[in-house]
Amino acid sequence: MNDVVVECEGIERVYQDDAFPVRALNSVDLSVNDGEFVSLSGPSGSGKSTLLNIIGGLDRPDGGVVNVGGVDLGGLSDSALADMRLHKIGFVFQSYNLIPVLTALENVEFILQLQSVSAASRRERALHSLDSLGLGDLGKRRPGELSGGQQQRVAIARAIVTDPILLLADEPSANLDSTTTHELLEVLRDLNKSQGMTIITATHDPIVMGYTTRKVQLVDGGIEQDEAVPE
Amino acid sequence: MVLKLILQLSLRNIARHKRRNIMLFAAIAVAVAGVSATNTLIRGFQADLLDSSISNLTGHIKIHAPGYRDDPTIQKSFELAKNFAPDVPAEELLGWAPRIRIPAVIMSERETRGIQLVGVDPNAEHISFLGNVPIDGEALSGSDDGQVLVGRELARQLETKVGRRLVIITQGADGLNRERGFRIVGTYDAEGTALEKIFVFSGLEKIQELLDTPNVTEVSVRLHQESQRISVKRRLLDFFVGLEVMDWRELEPQAATMYLFADSIIFIWFAVLMSALIFGLVNTLIAAVMERVKEFGMVRAIGMRKSMVISQVVVESIFIMSIGVVFGLMMGYGLYASIADGLDLGQFAGGVATFGMRSMLVPILRPSDFVLVAALSIGLGVLASLYPAWRAVKITPLDALRR
Repeated sequence: MNDVVVECEGIERVYQDDAFPVRALNSVDLSVNDGEFVSLSGPSGSGKSTLLNIIGGLDRPDGGVVNVGGVDLGGLSDSALADMRLHKIGFVFQSYNLIPVLTALENVEFILQLQSVSAASRRERALHSLDSLGLGDLGKRRPGELSGGQQQRVAIARAIVTDPILLLADEPSANLDSTTTHELLEVLRDLNKSQGMTIITATHDPIVMGYTTRKVQLVDGGIEQDEAVPE
Repeated sequence: MVLKLILQLSLRNIARHKRRNIMLFAAIAVAVAGVSATNTLIRGFQADLLDSSISNLTGHIKIHAPGYRDDPTIQKSFELAKNFAPDVPAEELLGWAPRIRIPAVIMSERETRGIQLVGVDPNAEHISFLGNVPIDGEALSGSDDGQVLVGRELARQLETKVGRRLVIITQGADGLNRERGFRIVGTYDAEGTALEKIFVFSGLEKIQELLDTPNVTEVSVRLHQESQRISVKRRLLDFFVGLEVMDWRELEPQAATMYLFADSIIFIWFAVLMSALIFGLVNTLIAAVMERVKEFGMVRAIGMRKSMVISQVVVESIFIMSIGVVFGLMMGYGLYASIADGLDLGQFAGGVATFGMRSMLVPILRPSDFVLVAALSIGLGVLASLYPAWRAVKITPLDALRR
C-alpha cells in the first residue's frame, strides 16, 4: 500500500520562447504512494499539466529525475517511453480522445491490440472493463453516438483495461457538466478505493479536488501546498 | 494482430471520408485506365512493327554468306543441301524459306526500273507477306514456275499488266549479264507501296537456272514466338559455320529501335500520368493526416509507436491506390474490349506506313502489362505516403494533443 509509485526529484522544465524563457516547473519534488488519489491543482500556468505530462513520459524535464514504478524515465528512448505508457500508465484526456471510427468496445480493445493480447482475452477484458463502468450495453456504439460523460467513461475503461500501475487524468471534467462530473469522479473514487488504483489528476475544478485524498497545489512552477485530505 | 488493427483502422478511415476518397478512386481509376488502354495500342503497334519487319522477307532469323549484306550479288551465295531442314523443334519453327535475292533491272515496253529479283519456293513463303497477299491474276505455282509476280505499283509504273511480258537483266554467277523475258502471272497488292515497287518474284529453280548456280543467297527462318529468337539463333550459329546468322533486329535496326522505343513510350506515358496523379494523392493524404493530428497524438500518448503510425498512413495509401487500380484496370479492359477489333487508321495510311504500321491498328492486351501497371501504381502509392506519414509523426504527442 505504501510503495512509492512516482518519485520526482528536482524537476525543472523551461520553455524556450523567442523573447525570453518560461520556467514552467522550478525544482519540484513529489512522491506519490501506491493507492493515493492525488490532485494537482493551481491556476493556469502553474505547471500542473506540465508535471503530469512529465510523470506520464509525454514530456521530458530539463532537470531532475522522475521515477515511475521504479523506472527512471530519463534514461528511456522515445520507443521505450511509448512502451512504458502502453503497459504501465493509463491516460484519461480532457477531450476523451477516442478513435472516432472504432466502437466503444473496439476503443477499449485497441490498447490491448497494441499489447498483442489474443482476440478472445482482449474481448473478455474489454467487456469487463466497460461493464465495471456501467457501459456494458454501449459497446457497439461509436463515440459520436455517446454523451460526453459516456465517452469519458469509455476513455477510463480504455485506460484501466491494461491494469496500469498509475492512472493519469488531465482535466477530466473540463468538458462535462457538474452532474456528469460527479458521476465520473464517483467512478474514479471507486477505482481508487476498491482496486487500489493510484490516480493523479491535474485539475482546477474544485469538484474534482473534493474527491481526492491528497491535494497538491502548484503556483508559478512550484508546490505551494501538499496536504492529505482526511477521509 | 497489430497488422489487423492497422488494416481495420485504415479501412475505417477510408470509409469515413467517402466523398473525398471516391473522388480520389475515380482519379486513380481514370489514370490507370488511360495507361492500360494506351498500352494495348502501343503493344499493337509493336506487334505490327514486328510482323511487318519479319514478313518483309526478313523472318526472325536469316542466314547469308559473309559479305552479302554489303554486296548482295549471286557471288555472295552458298549451297544448301537438297534435304536440308533447320534443326529447330516443330513447336518453335513456323517455317523456313530458301531464296535467291539479287539486284536486277526490269523493262517493259515503256519503262525501266531497278528491282530486287527474288527466286522463291512459293510453298515455303507462308512465312512472309507473299503467303497471304492479295493477287490479281495467279500466284506462282512452284519453284519451277518461270513466270513473275510483280507488285501492283510497279506494274502501274511500268505501264504493264497481267499477261504481258517483261525483260529482266541481272548478273550471273560467272559475273556476266543475263537477260530473259518473263510473263507476268499476277500482280500482288501489299500493305503500302514500298514492297510493291521493289520485289519481283519468280520460281527459285528458274532463277538458279538463269544465273547458272545451284546456290541460294539467303535462308529465312520464321518462329512461332519472338521470345524463341535468341535460343534458335544460337542453334543455327552452331550449324551454319562460316555463314552469317542474323536476327531481324540486326537486319532491320530502325525497326528494332522503334520496337524498343515503344517500350520506353509505355514507361514515359505511365510516369507522366501517374506523376500528375501522385501530387493529388499526396495532397489528399496530407489533408487526411493533418485532420487527425490530435488522434495520432492520442494514440502515441497511450503507447502506439511512431512506426505503427507511419504504417497506418502507408497502408491507407496502399488501400486507396489498390481500390483505384482495380477499378482502373477494369475500365482499361473495357476500353480495350471496345476497340479490340482494331482502330482504322486508313485516313493516315500514308503516314503510318512510314512507321511500318498497317492501316488497322489492333490493340494487344498483355497480362504482364496490367500487372506491371498495378504493381508500379501501388509502389508509387507507397512513395506518395511517405511524406504525409513523416508529417504525422513529426509532431510530438504532447503538441498534437494541445491542438
